[in-house]
Amino acid sequence: MPKSQFVNPAPQFEKRTISLKDIPVCAYDRTLEEEKANYTNEDLIGMYADMAAIREFETMLLTIKQKGNYNNKEFTYPGPAHLAVGQEATAVGQAYTLDVDDYIFGTHRSHHEVIAKAFSAIKKLSDDELLKIMQEYNDGKNYEVVKKYTKSNGDVKEMAREYFIFGLCCELFAKDMGFSRGLGGSMHAFFLPFGIFPNNAIVGGAAPIATGVALYKKCNKKKGIVVANAGDGAAARGPVYEAMTFASMDQFNDLWEDGYKGGLPIIYNFNNNFYGMGGQTKGETMGYEEVARLGAINKTGMHAERVNGWNVLAVIDAYKRKKALLEKGEGPALLELVTYRFSGHSTSDASSYRTKEEVEEWQKYDPLTAFPKQLAEAGVATAEELEKLNEAVIDRNRRMFDLASDLSVAPYTDYSEHPDFIENVMFSNKRIEKMDDRPVEVNQTKEENERYQKIAKLSRSAFGPDGSLLPKMRVYNIRDGLFEAIADKYYEDPTLISYGEDVRDWGGAFAVYRGLTEALPYHRLFNSPIAESAIVGSAVGYALAGGRVITELMYCDFIVCSGDEVFNQMAKWQAMSAGKLNMPFVLRVSVGMKYGAQHSQDWTSLCAHVPGLKVIYPVTPYDAKGLMTAALNGTDPVVCFESQKIYDMGERFVEGGVPEGTYEVEIGEPAIRRQGSDLTILTIGPTLYTALEAAEKLEKDFGVSAEVIDARSVVPFNYEKVVESVKKTGRILLASDACARGSILNDMAQNITSLAFDYLDAPPAIVGAQNWITPASEYSKEFYPQVGWFLDAIHERILPLEGYTPQKSYSDTELLRKARKGV
Amino acid sequence: MATPVMMPNVGITVETCVLTKWMKNKGETVEEGEVLFTYETDKSTLEQEAPVSGTVLEIFFGEDADVPVMTNVCVIGAPGEDVEEFRPGTADKKEEEAAPAKQETPAPAAQQSAPAPAPVMQTGFIKASPRAKALAEKRGVNLRFVSGTGPDGRIIERDVFAAAQGSGLSCRESGGAAPAVEYVDEKMSVIRRTIAKQMSASLQTAAQLTHTLSFDATDILAFRKGIKSGEIQGYGNITLNDMILYVVSRTLAKPEHRALNAHLLENDIMRYFSGVHMGVAVDTDRGLMVPTLFDCDKKPLNKISEEAKALAAKCRNGSALPDDLKGGTFTVSNLGAYGIEHFTPVINVPQTAILGVNTITTQIKAVNGGIQTYQAMGLSLTYDHRAVDGGPASRFLSELKATLENFTAFLREQEG
Repeated sequence: MPKSQFVNPAPQFEKRTISLKDIPVCAYDRTLEEEKANYTNEDLIGMYADMAAIREFETMLLTIKQKGNYNNKEFTYPGPAHLAVGQEATAVGQAYTLDVDDYIFGTHRSHHEVIAKAFSAIKKLSDDELLKIMQEYNDGKNYEVVKKYTKSNGDVKEMAREYFIFGLCCELFAKDMGFSRGLGGSMHAFFLPFGIFPNNAIVGGAAPIATGVALYKKCNKKKGIVVANAGDGAAARGPVYEAMTFASMDQFNDLWEDGYKGGLPIIYNFNNNFYGMGGQTKGETMGYEEVARLGAINKTGMHAERVNGWNVLAVIDAYKRKKALLEKGEGPALLELVTYRFSGHSTSDASSYRTKEEVEEWQKYDPLTAFPKQLAEAGVATAEELEKLNEAVIDRNRRMFDLASDLSVAPYTDYSEHPDFIENVMFSNKRIEKMDDRPVEVNQTKEENERYQKIAKLSRSAFGPDGSLLPKMRVYNIRDGLFEAIADKYYEDPTLISYGEDVRDWGGAFAVYRGLTEALPYHRLFNSPIAESAIVGSAVGYALAGGRVITELMYCDFIVCSGDEVFNQMAKWQAMSAGKLNMPFVLRVSVGMKYGAQHSQDWTSLCAHVPGLKVIYPVTPYDAKGLMTAALNGTDPVVCFESQKIYDMGERFVEGGVPEGTYEVEIGEPAIRRQGSDLTILTIGPTLYTALEAAEKLEKDFGVSAEVIDARSVVPFNYEKVVESVKKTGRILLASDACARGSILNDMAQNITSLAFDYLDAPPAIVGAQNWITPASEYSKEFYPQVGWFLDAIHERILPLEGYTPQKSYSDTELLRKARKGV
Repeated sequence: MATPVMMPNVGITVETCVLTKWMKNKGETVEEGEVLFTYETDKSTLEQEAPVSGTVLEIFFGEDADVPVMTNVCVIGAPGEDVEEFRPGTADKKEEEAAPAKQETPAPAAQQSAPAPAPVMQTGFIKASPRAKALAEKRGVNLRFVSGTGPDGRIIERDVFAAAQGSGLSCRESGGAAPAVEYVDEKMSVIRRTIAKQMSASLQTAAQLTHTLSFDATDILAFRKGIKSGEIQGYGNITLNDMILYVVSRTLAKPEHRALNAHLLENDIMRYFSGVHMGVAVDTDRGLMVPTLFDCDKKPLNKISEEAKALAAKCRNGSALPDDLKGGTFTVSNLGAYGIEHFTPVINVPQTAILGVNTITTQIKAVNGGIQTYQAMGLSLTYDHRAVDGGPASRFLSELKATLENFTAFLREQEG
């Protein structure tokens, strides 16, 4: 919280009322005749053509799913088909106003939005631009196909429409020529060159991500607005509220510097078709009466409006007005577009929740019937012309379907020839030091910065010249290592921003960011609402839009508050885009140890389990700086675990201490911290220091020489060093502060056993925390691995120690008993 | 279709058998029912007949190989058929091949360097870490003679090091100056190994001590003389040993001596038997064998005599079945025929006692102020002091003495 804003008590207690702004409902009342002055006939006919294209595309999927054929050709499509038959005008109206650099995000039901936006972009791009896009995308493979079979007669825009329908079909049919080589599919289709950003199969999942893209546009002064499409069902989702709250922060206007003031340029667009799957939102599952009421989330009421989504011209009118507001910095905005889907939620929907009469009543207003009738009545085109146009649209769709479903034209990805196809897109593994070349915006030089000045006075090694341990206050520690890597990057990459709970002013809950507040303007470092979904989700958007971002979740335990964003979004978008998106995003989480069950968990294993995340856990100042630098130079999503036990730990391993200059520690390479010959101990996290104590005791009391290896990274992980060590020692114990059950240590133990079975003198032993809730810190010795536990496990499971009496049982019986009991 | 032939499973406690002789070589034809090879269990030599007719396509083990039961030893079939699928696992084979040279590893030597109880040859599955197995192979250590000090008795690397050091194997290459001593290394037979294991286990676990006394054998000698001369009718060729078995079994059957007709099991459990199943030690060419004469206390003298002779014959001609050699509750070992005057028999654990029968010597005794000679026979009772104390053991021995000295009367009382 900034001291510049005074929280005055007196006004807080004044008697008053809060008035909400009136919300316009279906305010648009112009006739087509009146609008003829504002649109060309070509425009109006084009709107109909686009609506017809969407209707035919969706009809195609419906026919395939229900009858197994389309255009007299048998075809099977096992994937999802959440169709938008009935919602065409809504999408075409939205896309009409949007420019190519205005971005849309969609949902599981977004074929219509995608086609509408693509056809809008095609109208706005020049022929040369379109040709360039087609020739470059997927190495021009799709373009070659379309060029060969096109019936566009030299009309580049028509060829581009063919190109898009073909690519979209391929993406849905999981073909190698899909826009994301089939890795996205129906619910995740997108095409960046036309400003179409990833659709999201998690209801409301796109809202935080779209917010992050809007943030990217704002912080990097990029043109355009962002539209986050959602259904009325998504209005119940927490992340959607979090996103709208995040986009509504007062600080955008009150605190951010000139040039960066103003709300986020984003429209939360709710297409209200009255059903969230089969649940009726109004009248059954929600209580908002109208979605537009949700605008009450901020003082502008989010400029919310309820608009007739079946009147394409009404939608265009709304979008023109909202876009103008956003461009003035008055975002965010909320639109509720009233629409209706004739198709079921999916093709397995038996419509058991609505009557035939209801559907028939809505069909009277079907835009695909009403709009061409209006056009004919207004003399824009004759009914015959429009019918001919419709036939051409259907013919195009059929031809593109024929190509996309033809294995000789559009084959499936050959996994036998490319077994590493997905493997190669899980991570981008690029090294890009800065995401943009413009100068960085900072408030001070490094030399002027107090934190840098303070660090300059510290010993960069934990030991003094005489080899003795220096007092902690005099030593460069893990906090300093993280700070230096992050601050250095701030002075290098102009796109780097960071936010989270209390990162500014407070300097982060654990003081890593202390000093950054003075160095950085608000738009590069700011406090976020306590909204983990929005924090992580928006960072995903910021990164995939082209920026570099670090966010902090304070406690590791809060990861699950942003569960979808970490595990489904951050982890997956690089691969779901077949490598077309990068994710230069570092998520910092801090592992506690004092505040009980919900503030003390090491969840490296959870993060390691979900493919697509890199997971690091530095426990020395050298690694804190080196691994963070590597993460920040990379283009992959990295979850960086930090331990509150050892933020003040000095550098004990690297001779000469932590270098002042920049360097990287390769992610995935463990480090040997102590040489030994009889036993290997592999640790993840701060347990390293407990293991080192145990190693000393083993040497002194039992003559057992232990080699201690610090994993440093969990994903990726190079086993070579560990296996080499185990081949030498024949014995291994793995330890971390995570609860032992389901710990990644078990996975590692299994891999080590596979790789070095014949060299093992005993099965690997695991020492982890108890499978309990974490008790109060007074009992931490009962919960977290202690030196004695190492000896106990070694004695009972690996190498009986002469004269040793174990304290804690690691016997088979105990193992079985605990497993039976579920602890 | 080729047919594999296995080393048969001849008894529940038999884990390996020595393949003693191939009667058919590889490539020869064999008829169903013809003897294919002979093999030796720890107690018997047996023949294996061909289960089918055909050609011996492959032989997996040579003569003298110690083969785990239920392991394929050869394949019979038509020439050209593939036999590889029947080949026993190479890992097992290696162990078999590696075994012979190391059998003579003196077990107690390892005791000095290993922080473990004295190693005893283990049979069956050996619990050893992969690392220990690899080291044992490299250093030529037979894991069957290594005591495990790892968790749950697993043999771990250090145990193999200790064993290698103890056996001197690790420095066998360093010699050179030592004078050449001629010797022959021979693998111990299965029976020898079993005896070795049984005897050393006995001496390591039981608290053994021996009481000796002699009894006046005048009556039993007279009884035997009477049978031979025909004065006593109704008895076959009763030996002195038969009479001793008769008396011992009846005495043991009394409740007060039950601790001597018992097994001392693990976990401090004493198992008392309602019948006396007499182990009768038999000296054979291959070594000591102890067949069991079941329900000895309930059998008349003639029956005891017949069965004892039949069992001894079976042992000597190698046809005793493994089950003939199990189940004894007490053992009598008679060395009288060799002129042994006194010895300390070793208990056949888990039995709690064994009676040694010595030769007959001429003794003198004072009778009515004068000296008189008489024939005396020595008895040596070794008992496990864990199971029974000196008092009861002595009372048992005294009772034997009294009964044997009045054998004729006792027999009449028993059999009428």
